[in-house]
This record gives sequence, structure tokens and C-alpha cells, in this order.
Amino acid sequence: DWKGWNVHPAGYPVTVAMESFIKEAEKATDGRVSGRVYNGAILGSQEDAIQMMQVGGIDFAEFNLGPIGASVPEVNVVSLPFIFKDVEHMHRVMDGPVGDELSKAMEKKGIISLAWYDSGSRSFYDSRKPIKTPEDMKGMKFRVMNNELYVGMVEALGGNATPMAYSEVYQSLKTGVVDGAENNWPSYDSSNHFEVAKYYSLTQHLILPETLSVSAKAWAKLSPEDQKAVRKAAQDSAEFQRKLWAEKVTESREKLIKAGIQITEIEDKSAFQDAMAPVYAKAVKDNPTLAPLIEKIRNTK
Amino acid sequence: MGLAILLGIFALLTVVGVPVAFALGMAAISAFWYEGLPIMIGFQRIVAGMSTFSLLAIPFFIFAGELMLHGGIAARLIRLASASVGWMRGGLGQVNVFSSMLFGGISGSAVADVSALGSLLIPVMKEKGYDDDYAVNVTVSSSIAGIMIPPSHNMILYVVAAGGGISVASLFIAGIVPGILMCLLLGFVARWIAIRRNFPTEQFAGWRFIFVAFIASFPGLITAIIVVGGALSGIFTVTESGAIGALYAIVITAFVYRSLSLRDFWIAVIRSVKTTGMVMILVGCAGAFGYMLALYEVPKVLASALTSVSDNPIIIFLLMNLILLLLGMIMDMAALILICTPIFLPVAVGLGMDPIQFGVMLMMNLGLGLCTPPVGGCLFVGCAIGEVPIQRAVKSIWPFYLAILAALMLVTYIPAVSMTLPSWINS
Amino acid sequence: MNSSPIKEPIVKRFLDLLSVIAMSISGVCMVILVLSFGWLVFGRYVLNDTPTWVEQMAMLLVTAITFLGASVGIHQRTHLSVEMLSLVLPEKSMRCVDIFIDLTLLVFGVAMAYFSHELASFAWSRNIPLLGIPDGIRYIPVVTAGILIFLFSSFRVFNGVVALFSPQEAVNKSASEGDR
Ligand code: NA
Ligand code: NA
Repeated sequence: DWKGWNVHPAGYPVTVAMESFIKEAEKATDGRVSGRVYNGAILGSQEDAIQMMQVGGIDFAEFNLGPIGASVPEVNVVSLPFIFKDVEHMHRVMDGPVGDELSKAMEKKGIISLAWYDSGSRSFYDSRKPIKTPEDMKGMKFRVMNNELYVGMVEALGGNATPMAYSEVYQSLKTGVVDGAENNWPSYDSSNHFEVAKYYSLTQHLILPETLSVSAKAWAKLSPEDQKAVRKAAQDSAEFQRKLWAEKVTESREKLIKAGIQITEIEDKSAFQDAMAPVYAKAVKDNPTLAPLIEKIRNTK
Repeated sequence: MGLAILLGIFALLTVVGVPVAFALGMAAISAFWYEGLPIMIGFQRIVAGMSTFSLLAIPFFIFAGELMLHGGIAARLIRLASASVGWMRGGLGQVNVFSSMLFGGISGSAVADVSALGSLLIPVMKEKGYDDDYAVNVTVSSSIAGIMIPPSHNMILYVVAAGGGISVASLFIAGIVPGILMCLLLGFVARWIAIRRNFPTEQFAGWRFIFVAFIASFPGLITAIIVVGGALSGIFTVTESGAIGALYAIVITAFVYRSLSLRDFWIAVIRSVKTTGMVMILVGCAGAFGYMLALYEVPKVLASALTSVSDNPIIIFLLMNLILLLLGMIMDMAALILICTPIFLPVAVGLGMDPIQFGVMLMMNLGLGLCTPPVGGCLFVGCAIGEVPIQRAVKSIWPFYLAILAALMLVTYIPAVSMTLPSWINS
Repeated sequence: MNSSPIKEPIVKRFLDLLSVIAMSISGVCMVILVLSFGWLVFGRYVLNDTPTWVEQMAMLLVTAITFLGASVGIHQRTHLSVEMLSLVLPEKSMRCVDIFIDLTLLVFGVAMAYFSHELASFAWSRNIPLLGIPDGIRYIPVVTAGILIFLFSSFRVFNGVVALFSPQEAVNKSASEGDR
């Protein structure tokens, strides 16, 4: 009986897709694979769960690729700001040779990535003013996830990067400990951050893919036919998840527009992108394996 | 079977007398082993259970409380309490309760209250002719004020256990009225027994003296305002507020009061480190234990069992309180907050109780558990300081239990008691 | 077992020293923890440049404080426990129960040291974000605490067994030592 880790609540696109994955996998393997999804991160944080998967404490999971970079350095390439042109570009890259290369790197660390899920694009939001150019961010405090790249990104844009636990962000936005944060539409909605930070500026600086993975230990116990069937079920569920996700994004955006948030479209992102040169330079310097991957992603049409 | 091993080993080890934290840890590790999960993950859960960012406020509150005690702030608060209410019949009993209210607002920990105030007040009370069991009873029962009146590290544990989404600042504010209400009831009981046993009365010290005592203790009282106000106003996060409160306490006691020597400072550091170790290892082990409970889906099953008993909120809430009281007798507060919140909170919210009101109810209920045998941190410390055998203290403590129970029922069934202040502040 | 009257105090003094060292290290960690948060607030409001290392480092410090503090608690017997059996059992059986308790702690200490070491070496290849040091460092205090708990509780087990088989005066001595 496989144990599945998931950070999202019941009914969320990822949750629904994961549940459909394990059901389909059970059908396709005549019950040789079966399992249960534990939602809401009750089995621990994502960092802990990655570690658990590596030693076989959990059998399958849906991870955002951001935190995986700490364990699998190559994966950090997707955390580079503006690396993907848009969500469709990200799909083409991940479903192609670059995605395969990242899967191989993860496999070496005990994580068998079966399919890529979506988490849309992340944009900045804040409680003070719309952001049209990097100058608008000057002096503002932005909460970022714990990763050098995200800290470097906000600093390169002139903001004050403040790493902070997700659970503290709402109160901090409300009271001004931080001025803003960044996330995708559904999270901006479900976290209620829109209530206290109503300027959502479409920088779309990060497009982070997610992975549906199985632990190498559980994977090794399957026959090649079962592996094939499970992989097929995963890829079908990814297709399903991407569709659900797109619907969820639309739903959240419409809801929040009705709730009175203010969206700022950014026609020309080049000022933001140009500011990223030092972030890229430092990332490549720290981790030379990123250079060829960056090239390949840029060359993917 | 795995669940039976988890619960069985925990029960066996606890009854035998293994420290509760390690009984929880051992039970969790055994269940990991039985399930064929890597045991290192069990220890990872213990470490992860205690290293949550929001929990960082706990060592800060504990440290600030120790600084208050060893830097002379507790003594000044007692002088203020003594000047204000000491003249009443059985005056030192009233002083004791009132001191707990003032000090509880700063220390954030009931056990810290007992050791701080008890070591100052119990000897004085005994010397003035109060019965020793009475001195211990008043000290122990009023120490729950430390949990109810902000700041309170147990409230932070609750917010973490509830999985975020609850504002610590609002919960802090919500505890004030129930805390004061409970102390009023305890004050009545203390007075009633004092009259029956014919305890002495202190002289009224005069308004001037009250004023002087107030001015002297004012910088100490500010600590609570910094911690709660800092978090409410948004200058700091709650965790930062705890750290700033501790830093402020160092500055005040060392440079304004000049009553904190380097030696006192180090004593405060060492004591807070020991308390932090005890509290946080319990939190970590309870985290690993709770992980296995979640894996066995115990919270889900228990919650549905609870709602199947009745659909009358009055009965369900009564039942919840009963279960918590029984558990509070045999387990420590921190562990119970982490284990019971995921079970009871969804049920309470489903019946229309606000998570903040539930939090206040949980704090008061489990606070009572700290005063009851066989596992009661406050009772142990109080009896040790007062040199009273636990059995004798318990024989005469029941009127105080009744006062706390009465306050608990008011909190449970009248939302306004806890919810008025926070909703007023938020609007 | 007969050699204990001479050897015991030295061992006890050594363990006392270990517990003082452990306590002092975690005390220093506590002071650094508070100061680093002062620096965090100062950086955010005065320098407008939030130090990004504080949050991650605080987690390391609190782990060290907790595990070292908790192992000292084993030596000094300050952890909370249920004390029902001591009220009902006769003294001699209670001494066996105490040995069982200390044995349990001993086993836990060994497991803690062994498996946390496994965790540390496993996590060594991964860096803590924003600190740039191996994540395995997080588990060093845990391994240390496991070893300390093992040492402290083996001493108690040894004393308990000696007391169980010795004449009365030795029993009284070790019983008063176990006081909280
Ligand atoms: Na308090
Ligand atoms: Na109790």
C-alpha cells in the first residue's frame, strides 16, 4: 500500500489528479499497485517529504521543483527567473529532452519523476502600489521562498528580500512587516493574501513545474510492465491536472477581480529580465552544470 | 496492530514512569519500526516537529520570563500586588492571584509562574501564619493565568497545531477576559477559605505606596505590551516580538533596575535553556507520535465517532471538555495541544465554534490539567517549593478546581467571553 | 561491582562536567539566538536590508538548545513523568521499575545517536538554503544528545543495579541521589 504525500487540500487540482493517478495505476496493474494520498502536508513539509522519499519513507508524492533544487542542483535551472517564456514554453521544455535530463538527475537521488504537473506562473503582489517597472519595487519588503535564487532576484530588482515561513505571511502583509510576496493565482486566492495585498502585477517571473514522483525503492519493486503502466497513469493524470489547473486559474482570477483586486499588466518585461543578468551569472558560477541547461531551454522553440 | 503498538507502548511507558516526552518518542519510533518505515525518518519527525519557525517564540518567552524573575521584576510586581489588594481578608492569597495575573502576562508559561512567584510568595505566606497547603493551592491554581493572559507560548503551539490560519495576536487578545474572569473566581475562593480558616489581614499601605509600587514595576509591565503590541501593530512578527521582549528585559533589568548581575543573567540563561529543552523535546516527540496517528487516520476516525454520539453542540462540547480534562490529568499540555487540536478543532468548527474560542477553551482546560495529579507540572513545582506532599495539597485544592471549571464552562458556552475583545480590535 | 565506592564519584564528576558543558553550549546558543533576532529587526527597519540567514540559522540554534538541554534534563531528572507506581509499589520493586525506566532511556539514546547519525550523513550532500552549509549539521546536536542520554542513563542503570544487590546503607545513599 503506497503512501502518497501532497501539500494541497482536498479538491485542489493536484489532489484530484493524484487521486485519479493512484486509482488508474491500481486498475492498470490489477491491484499490484495501490495507495492512498495524505493531503495537506500532514506527513510533513515538502523539504522533509523529499528526504523521506529518498529513503523510502513515502512512496509517491507531488512536489514543486523549487525546493528539489536543494537536493538535486540541476533542477535549480527551473528556478531561474524568466527562464521560460510562458507556460506553453515550459510544457514544451519539460516534455522534451531537458525534462528527461532533469528526471535522470532526480533518479540519481532516489526520486523517479513520472510526469510534470503545473503550478502556473508566479507574479508579485503587494499592499502599497502597482508594479510596472523594477523601480516600483525599490525599498519594498517582499517575502520570498527559502532559496538563494529568489532572494537574489528580489534584490536585483531593488526590493528587500525577506525569507519567511508561509504561515506567517498573511499576518505580516496585514500589519506591514512585509509589503508584498509573490505567488500564482490560486495560491494568492486560497491564502487570502488578496485581502491584505490587493495589487497583483503580472510579472510572471517564475513558472515552476511540479513533478509526480515515485520513490526509487517502491519503483524497483515493480515489474517493467507495471512500471510502464504506472508511468502511463501518471502521464494521463498530468494531462488531467493541467486542464484542472487552467480552470482553477481562471476561476481564481475571476473571483479576485470581483473581490476588487487591482491587476497590472506588464506589456514589456525586458527591464525585469535585464535586471536578472547578475542572478544568472551567480547561479552559473555556483553551479556550472546549469549553463548547458539554460542554453537548451532558450533554444527550445 | 500498528496503532495498538503505538498506543500500547506509550501507555505502558507512561504508567511505569518514563518521562512523557520519551514515552511518546519511543512509542512513535516503535511504530515506525513495525510499519517497516525507515527509523531515521522517525527521528527526522522529532527534529522537524520542534523546528517550526513559529515555535521559535517559545524559547524567547521562556527566556524573558526567567530574566524577569532573576532580574527582580517579579519581586516588584508582587510589591505592586501587595500594595493594591493586600489589605483584603486573607490578603496574601489575593496578592498571590493578582501577582499571577501581572506576571502571567509577561512570562507566558504557567510553570515559570509557579517557580517564580511560588518561591517568593509561599515562604512569606507560611511565615505569616497561612496554612502551607493553602499557599500552594493558590499559587498553583492561579498560575494558569500565565497561559490565558498574553503572551503565552502554549497559544503559539495551538496555532501551529491548527495548521496556521489563526492569528496569534487575536488569540492573545482573546485570552485576556477569560484569564481575568478566572482569576476573579479564584480570588473569591481564596477569600472564602481565608475567612473560614481565619487567616491574617495586611495593613492598607496607602495610595502613595501603590503609586510608587506601580511606577517601580511599570518598566517590567511594558514587556508584555512590547510583545503583544509589537505583534498586533505589525512592527514585529510574533517570534520577533518574543526576542525583542527578551532583549528589552535584559536592558531593563541590567541597566534600568541594575538588579541583573552577570551571574543572574547566566542563571536565567541556563534555566531557560533547560526549560526550553524539556518543552521542545516534548513538542518534537509529540510531533512524531502525531505523525503516526495521522498515518493511522486516528483524528478522522475519532472526530467522526465524536459527532456520531450526538449532534447537540452542548453535549459535544461537554464531552470534549471531559475527554480533555481526563487526558490533561495524565499528559502534559504541550503534547496534548499538538495531538488533540487536529482531532477536536474540525469538530468544534463544524458545530459553529470559532477557532479562537476553541483555542481559549483548550488552554483553560489543559491548564487545569497542569494542576492535577498524577502529571501536573505546576502542582509538582508548587508542592516542591512549599514542601507540601502532593496528596495533602490535592485534598484541599478542590474549591479552586471548581472555580476554574466554572470559568471553563463560561468560556465554552458563551462565545462573547472570549470573542468580544478580538472582534472589537479587528474592526 | 565492589569497586564502585572509589570509581563512582569520578564517573559522576565526569558526567556532571559533561552536563555543565552541554548546558553552557546551549546557553551560548540561546544568547546568539536572541541577538540574531535583534539584528534581524534592526536590519529590516534601519538598514532596509533584511539579513536572510537569521531564519535558517535560528532553526539550527533551537535544535542545539533543545537537544542539549533535554539530555541534561535526563541527567538531572527534570523531565515530566507520571509517578503513580511509586505510590503503590513497595520500595524494592520500585527500584526494579526505576532500572527499567533508565534502560528505556538508554535504548532511546542509542537509537537517537545511531539514526540521527544516519540522517546527518544522508543530509550532508544537501545545502541549507541561504546558509550554504550542509543540512546534516542540523543533526549533530541530536547525535551528541543521543550519546549523552546513553551515558547518563547507563550510569543510572549501573547505580540502580548496584543498589539492588548491596546492603542497606548503599541503597539509602543512591536513593537520596536520585532526588529531583
Ligand atoms: Na502569559
Ligand atoms: Na495533570
